[in-house]
Amino acid sequence: MPAPSLGDYLALSAVLFAIGAAGVFVRRNLITILLSIEIMLNAVNLTFVAFGRALGSADGQIIVFFVMTVAAAEAAVGLAIVITLFRHRESLNPDSFTALKW
Amino acid sequence: MTPFYLFAAIAVGASLLVIAQRNPVYSVLLLIASFGALSGLYVLLDAPFVAVIQIIVYAGAIMVLFLFVVMLLNAPHEETPYDEQVHPLMRPGPMRLGAVLALGLVVELIWALEKGAESGRFAGGAVSNVGAIGRLLFTEYAFAFEVTSILIIVAMVGAVVLARREGAR
Amino acid sequence: MPTPLFIAQIGLTLFVFVMLLSSAAGMVYVERKVAALLQQRIGPYLVGPKGLLQPLADIIKLMFKEELRPSAADAFLFALAPIISATCAFAAFAVVPFGGDTTLLGLIPGGLRLQVADVNVAILVVFAIASMSVYGIVLAGWSSNSKYSLLGGLRSSAQMISYELSYGLALAGVLLVGNSLSLTDIVNRQAGTWLGFIPHWFVVVQPIGFLIYMTAGIAETNRAPFDFPEAEQELVAGYHTEYSSMSFAMFFLAEYVNMVTVSAVATDLFLGGWHGPFLSESIGWIWFLLKVAAILFFYVWMRWTLPRYRYDQLMRFGWKILLPLAVVNLLVTAAGVLYFGS
Repeated sequence: MPAPSLGDYLALSAVLFAIGAAGVFVRRNLITILLSIEIMLNAVNLTFVAFGRALGSADGQIIVFFVMTVAAAEAAVGLAIVITLFRHRESLNPDSFTALKW
Repeated sequence: MTPFYLFAAIAVGASLLVIAQRNPVYSVLLLIASFGALSGLYVLLDAPFVAVIQIIVYAGAIMVLFLFVVMLLNAPHEETPYDEQVHPLMRPGPMRLGAVLALGLVVELIWALEKGAESGRFAGGAVSNVGAIGRLLFTEYAFAFEVTSILIIVAMVGAVVLARREGAR
Repeated sequence: MPTPLFIAQIGLTLFVFVMLLSSAAGMVYVERKVAALLQQRIGPYLVGPKGLLQPLADIIKLMFKEELRPSAADAFLFALAPIISATCAFAAFAVVPFGGDTTLLGLIPGGLRLQVADVNVAILVVFAIASMSVYGIVLAGWSSNSKYSLLGGLRSSAQMISYELSYGLALAGVLLVGNSLSLTDIVNRQAGTWLGFIPHWFVVVQPIGFLIYMTAGIAETNRAPFDFPEAEQELVAGYHTEYSSMSFAMFFLAEYVNMVTVSAVATDLFLGGWHGPFLSESIGWIWFLLKVAAILFFYVWMRWTLPRYRYDQLMRFGWKILLPLAVVNLLVTAAGVLYFGS
């Protein structure tokens, strides 16, 4: 097999992003949905690092740190919301939180 | 088999299993495996610092938080009768839409890989020096860096306020 | 790659593995003897001369015990947890250098560095693997499906996350002074002396960092006085309540190997690694072993001297005292490096 090229990394990243997106749509469990978002963020990170490598600059790697910070913040707040919701409804299914629906 | 294809296979397989089975504890663990494979890919891309940070921040901190919440809530499975009958990936609606989208993705990927095959190899001159990254982070990206620290503080306060039981001091 | 060097590398890897295994066995004996010394008892003396074969007897006893698994446990994770613990413990030592270059009596041209894998971000790798080892404990606690195990696992994950911050900040101080992420570079920067008698060790310029590192290290390895995950009066045996036989032995092994790793990293970062007076660089590993042994003795001494903290005291200490102290230490160090130059 030939050495991997930029295109291979981007293709892998696209597949991972698609898996993450599918997870958000298909799964009915808040925690798995948050995990799927993490998959998508990581797919994007891979793209950044691969492009940074191809262009020979460090910017790609730096953006990854910011994405990781945002992911950490998102996970902290997201999980706090999940805990609060679970206390009210005893469920992790997003379909059971209908109080603001009309 | 080159390391790239090994890591790519692990990343895709583990990520697929994350969304394809019902026990969140296993989902979290499989996602950690996927992150480990991605970290290997970063090493292949001459970014060892990002690779290690990936393990420390994602696998070591964020996923521990997830595992902690899963264990704390102890409601591991999707339990409604509907969920019990149907595999997460086998519901009729998502299947039809997903099949079309997946087909589109495959066609697009094949097209892109055909196009990109000739332009593909990485040139020399990767920046794998931690000092260079740090210098850039604290000069050119200093503003973004400070904004991120504010974001982290806001998230921290928000998480504490949200997760605290009402009435608790 | 020249063949003798390659063989020597593989030999070195095996050697480190065997030495870590036997250091765990040795520590069992030392721990018992020191405990006996501190409590004015004799300690093990029946098996072998002065009880020296006691660890061997312990191992044989563990091997012949029955492997039990609670029927409600998650079988796969229950089996996986001790493996994660032991793997992380051994993996972390791979990037720790424990001696200068050696030619092994002239057998290897060019010299062999006494380090399994020379990584240029070695400190971060140690930190990363340390942060992975929490999974072994958490999963053991959860998969056992027992209340003591679960509480032990949750406590330990909270404790390890809390103390990891101070641990990382203490490491960062040394990084600033040493101006490198490679452990070998950091050790080599500690060669020589000030005024002829004060060794050029980073413990001299980072005394608070060293104290923070040792405290956080004790908490990270779940040793007394921070051994909450297995506080026996409250939680029976914590996360490994349900484990027996060899899977228990793996946790046991992981604990001692982790101690050795934390001591070895402390030696490299703060105590000058293999540099010391009287011995040439090629046999500097003797100094390294002596320093590690001293820190390990300190560990055991702490365990049998200090009573266990209460859980909320531990958390308050970690977040309200140790972490701010580590941040201040880092700031002062950074200012010092900026002012004096490194």
